[in-house]
Amino acid sequence: MSAPILQVSQLTKRFGSLVALNNVSLEIRAGEIFSIIGPNGAGKTTLFFNIIGLQKPDSGRVLFNGTDITGKPPHTICDLGITCTFQVPRAFANMTVEEAVRVGAYKRYRGREVQRKVDEVLRICELEEYRHQRCCDMGLAPLRRVELARALATEPTLLLLDEAGAGLNPSELAGLMDILRRLNEEKRITLCIVEHVMQMVMGLAQRIVVLDYGEVIAEGTPQEISTNPRVIEAYLGKGAVC
Amino acid sequence: MTDTLLQNLINGALTGCIYALIALGLSLIFGVMNVVNFAHGDFVMLSMYLTFWIGLWAGADAVFTPLLTFPALFLIGVLAYYALIDRTLRQKYVTQIAVTVGLMTFLRALTQLVWKAQPRALPYSIIQGNIQVGPYTILASRLVSAVVSVLAIAGVYLFLSRTWAGRAIRAASDDLDAASLLGVPYRQTYALAFGLGSALTAIAGGLLMTFQQVDPTMGVRFGLLSWCVLAMAGLGSIPGLLISGIIVGAAEAVGMSLWDPRARSLIVYLLFILVLWLRPRGLFGRK
Amino acid sequence: MRRTREGLNRLLLAALLGVALLLPIAVRTDQYTLVLLTTILLYGVLATAWNVIGGLAGQLDLAAGAYLGLGAFTAGTLLIRLNVSPWLGMVLGGLVAVGFAVLIGYPLFRFGVKEVWYALSSAALVEVLRVTFLIWSQVGGPVERYLPYHEWSFYHLRFATYMPFYYIMLGLLALALLVNHWIRHSKLGYYLMALGENEEAAEVLGVNTQKCKLQALAIYAFLVGVTGSIYACMYGFIHPNFFSGPMSIEVAILGIVGGMGITYGPVMAAILLVSVREFLRANLGGQLEGLYLVVYATVLILIALFRPQGLGPMLRQAYDRLLSRLVKE
Ligand SMILES: Nc1ncnc2c1ncn2[C@@H]1O[C@H](COP(=O)(O)OP(=O)(O)OP(=O)(O)O)[C@@H](O)[C@H]1O
Ligand SMILES: [Mg+2]
Repeated sequence: MSAPILQVSQLTKRFGSLVALNNVSLEIRAGEIFSIIGPNGAGKTTLFFNIIGLQKPDSGRVLFNGTDITGKPPHTICDLGITCTFQVPRAFANMTVEEAVRVGAYKRYRGREVQRKVDEVLRICELEEYRHQRCCDMGLAPLRRVELARALATEPTLLLLDEAGAGLNPSELAGLMDILRRLNEEKRITLCIVEHVMQMVMGLAQRIVVLDYGEVIAEGTPQEISTNPRVIEAYLGKGAVC
Repeated sequence: MTDTLLQNLINGALTGCIYALIALGLSLIFGVMNVVNFAHGDFVMLSMYLTFWIGLWAGADAVFTPLLTFPALFLIGVLAYYALIDRTLRQKYVTQIAVTVGLMTFLRALTQLVWKAQPRALPYSIIQGNIQVGPYTILASRLVSAVVSVLAIAGVYLFLSRTWAGRAIRAASDDLDAASLLGVPYRQTYALAFGLGSALTAIAGGLLMTFQQVDPTMGVRFGLLSWCVLAMAGLGSIPGLLISGIIVGAAEAVGMSLWDPRARSLIVYLLFILVLWLRPRGLFGRK
Repeated sequence: MRRTREGLNRLLLAALLGVALLLPIAVRTDQYTLVLLTTILLYGVLATAWNVIGGLAGQLDLAAGAYLGLGAFTAGTLLIRLNVSPWLGMVLGGLVAVGFAVLIGYPLFRFGVKEVWYALSSAALVEVLRVTFLIWSQVGGPVERYLPYHEWSFYHLRFATYMPFYYIMLGLLALALLVNHWIRHSKLGYYLMALGENEEAAEVLGVNTQKCKLQALAIYAFLVGVTGSIYACMYGFIHPNFFSGPMSIEVAILGIVGGMGITYGPVMAAILLVSVREFLRANLGGQLEGLYLVVYATVLILIALFRPQGLGPMLRQAYDRLLSRLVKE
């Protein structure tokens, strides 16, 4: 079992009177594919935003490789090696795919190296044919891959993916899962995926955490989770477990 | 010394009520459809010119012209909504601003064309004279203006909370998708909000004309003034608007007397920038 | 000669440059036309500079007049009081504008003042400065302050004709275009475009949005400040009305009409709109003051409604089509 890359301890986030995250603690280990699931409004996106620095938690700490990153701005956290993709793609609408990926590639490269990195990432994400298309002219599936590509170009060691599989058809989904698996195995990138598509979670994740109403209600391997009565209850409502 | 200060404070606070009324119109437009209307101040100017024009040709007193200008401005607002704003709702905010800046320039140039650049004022108003309260003199026209403004604001408040159309406007500003599901037609609601927001400037314009003159550059002043009041109040609080209007009016008047009469706009803008820095959601804002 | 895209591009650029260089010689005695041409260039420079903060970084800045005025007053006051040459004065003017921009921009970006609120606060800034200089009688005041008169002095940047100013402005335009071109293809440019599209997404990709915006603002302020210094010398006086709100708005309009983020767009828009404006003003101005503005506003509204991308992409397409036809032949 490898060392933890990210430790979240007792994170709490409130929006007014709504407690979106309540004392959430979890640990992601280096090199694994970790998944967070939970019903709509459970606080998954909020958790991501508080890890990545887009929102500041009310209390609790986030440690990345042992250093405290709580409340740091996102660009600093990206420097350290964490980045994310968004649930609703936030495309750079008027930029071409290549330009969008370039933004990420400038993080660690200069001059000619930038283009080399861009080419590499475009190849990995199977976007070479879209290279010169503007992001606003693209369909959902390639757009999600653009989000992935520009995040990859920053060379993260931990990548957070927010519902990257939502809205994809089965063959697109299989393609995406292939890419993610390769990234994890060949590039040794630790992945944390938030997902509603169970097929993807069960196919990829080694460990799963379940959030409900901002609290962790279960944690375990895919097999353990799929038979956990509390999880089934959270998803299907009370009375579903007979 | 303290007497002049208080005197200015009172005058400023009374004018501030009109500012609040103007800002209420802006807040309807910005709060409901998130449209940035740069031309709002020029609607005020247009109302003032219309008031002047009607006052001159029909011999009507400025206090009564809103009976005509209110529907006129409402119509202009609705037309502006359907002709311009509706097409920009899905565009970037820069496009929206470009359109309303175009509208602003258009109105300014049009008034310059029709009424030339000189300042215009109506000869007199039936609300004449002063009211003496202790050592302080209060201009009757200012007092009446303030009272009418507060009444108009209260009227809008009642309209928004008691009528179906008003509730539709509020629903659309809270959550458009949910409102659409409940059968609120968004286009008509937006047009209504834009029309009403513009029409409120007609009342303000009439009131302002009872004690001051108008020229084509006035639009800039009222535009930034109303954004300042809105920024200070934040969105969603009508009493907050009134208080902010009074604060801005009072600060303006006090600054003018203590510092320099030309510093009028300076004080408003400094206030505006300070508020943006320190309280980006305003003092009373709820979202 | 082999016809290539590259070659034709160069040819066109050389031709344009040639025309720009020779134009004043063709009209050398006609001061009115010279002023007109210089004014077009002036707006071209301002709008091109605006493109950095407005077009690339997507911040709707309406404070061009503030930096223009600061540049004008710095160079002008230095010349009047201390007999400092405007050649030095313009650099200092640019730096004063930058200093002020950073002073104002830092807290604005720090506190996350965005979109409308940024636009409004920058518009307010112009008015604040205008009134401040109106009241500040040591430097400004309500009367024009004239620069020392010289028939023809290179040191004082005073000439009996507008022609030298035309060339200075042309040089400045070239500089502004180069800066734009360079930024557009550098890390800063990509970062600015990204944050202009979506700030949070840019942050997550490692863009320090605050710092980048401040850099863009500083570059823009410097170019506008330098232009302001020359503006003062060209007209031979300084006045608080140089802090002009309408002019600031017009600069932004040119940037938007030209096409946000397109290097050559703002210049095209300046050439088109400013000459239309001056033509209308010259021909309709007298009896119908304001009519040219009505036409101007209508053009702006129509473009914003029906060509929200601006004229730049349209012209570019037309040019590309022309090129491909020429290359094929
Ligand atoms: N900026 C915000 N302001 C107020 N409330 C918010 C904000 N962001 C999220 N919330 C609320 O916090 C709760 C958690 O939201 P979050 O988006 O994290 O859920 P989620 O698990 O990602 O859901 P989904 O599966 O639908 O994406 C929800 O009730 C949501 O309404
Ligand atoms: Mg979510």
